[in-house]
Amino acid sequence: MEDVQVVAMLVRRCVAGDAAAWEEIVQTYNRRIYNICYRFAGSADDAEDLAQEVFIKMYRTLASYDSSKGAFVTWVTTITRNLLVDHFRKTKQDRITDSLDAATSAHEDALPLSEQIQDQSAPPDARVRSREVGETVHAALARLSPELREAVILRDLQDLDYREIATVLKVPEGTVKSRINRGRAELARLLQRTYRQVM
Amino acid sequence: MPDKTSNGVQCHEFDTLLSDALDGVLTGVQLDAFHAHTRTCSVCGPLFAEVQAGRNWLKDLTEVEPPASLVTNILASTTGVDTQRLRVNVSASQGASSFSPSWWERAQAHISGAIQPIWGTVRQPRFAMSFGMAFFSLSVALSVLGVKPADLRSISLRPAAIRHTYYNTQARVVRYYENIRFVYEVESRVRELKRNVVPAEAAPAGEKKDHKNDTTQQPEQKQDRNYSQNDTHLILACAPLGPSVFDSLNHDPLNQDSLNLDQRDQDPLNQDLPVVSVTTYRRFV
Repeated sequence: MEDVQVVAMLVRRCVAGDAAAWEEIVQTYNRRIYNICYRFAGSADDAEDLAQEVFIKMYRTLASYDSSKGAFVTWVTTITRNLLVDHFRKTKQDRITDSLDAATSAHEDALPLSEQIQDQSAPPDARVRSREVGETVHAALARLSPELREAVILRDLQDLDYREIATVLKVPEGTVKSRINRGRAELARLLQRTYRQVM
Repeated sequence: MPDKTSNGVQCHEFDTLLSDALDGVLTGVQLDAFHAHTRTCSVCGPLFAEVQAGRNWLKDLTEVEPPASLVTNILASTTGVDTQRLRVNVSASQGASSFSPSWWERAQAHISGAIQPIWGTVRQPRFAMSFGMAFFSLSVALSVLGVKPADLRSISLRPAAIRHTYYNTQARVVRYYENIRFVYEVESRVRELKRNVVPAEAAPAGEKKDHKNDTTQQPEQKQDRNYSQNDTHLILACAPLGPSVFDSLNHDPLNQDSLNLDQRDQDPLNQDLPVVSVTTYRRFV
């Protein structure tokens, strides 16, 4: 958990023009923001671009952050989420709905999802297997609807509590819980279907 | 979702209870009732299994490592400041209990914040060719004008030297301007035109007025020249007949001439006196 006082001080220094404070913020939050972008956009290149955009936007609007209204991490996540939604709307026309046979992973050597699942038992190395399972789940996650995906990412991958998620998504907590449950269930169904096809 | 009640739990409450159960918030009787409902309800039971499976799948997702260049790129696109220098600043500021940036750092940050968007635009490839062409044109213009960058080093910036350079340059420009053939020709034409126009306009307004009253039809005598047309013009003079020599001297010689001539015949005293004619050459300078 972030120390509210420390972060507020860091933000104040940054607003006053302290470049070192800004670098500290970037160093602290770049991993979190990159991961949200990567899980939401599905591609490493897009995630890098989006993370940069998030920080540029954050740098310009840092003075508008009010520590009394909420935690800095919630503010940062809200900016990230809004930018991701904008990006999703912009690229809606260009996006194709990938089937499980399409290579949705960002990595160049990624195999189609069905092949990844087929070879799941083959690799002897547990670490490699774990990585491939991770890529499979990542590919399935990319197939969820944006509403469910963002809720699941914020809860299960970013460990935000329901109230924070409700603030970020601007919906009631009950809706957040419902979306998270539906997202998890949908993900499980997608993966079970894939297994069944492979078997 | 059907609104069915079993074991004290309604299906429409299941969503809320499901999250709490998975997060470990549900305890005691509530947790027992929840599990009893999942076992008996044909809708909520499979849903619980799916949600739990989905959650377990998501646990397999580990955090990905961002690219090493991400931080550098972010800092370059926001502050544009060298990260190496910043790292030193960070370590220095960590040692200090309270941080107060100096006015110079604040000014630098403000300036860099203002310049950064402009510099970001300028660095775009579409502007690169334009700036290249502008630089090329400038260098060509300077070389044509004979300005060498090496000469700039020897320029003295003392006030006296600057003044001297200023006057030198001004004189050179004036000389250059006056030596242009076109300017020279225009000036000579103007001078020629002036010469042609000036004699016709020379007569003053007062003399023109006299012309109107002049009914003699005689050619005009120019008063600004000598009374005689030339140096050899004859003027008659005679000895005075008045009471004393001083009286005659007090008179204007010109008027005296004409008076003597007129009075000589009328005065009876003068008739016996011999006439002495004196010819003088008067020159009025």
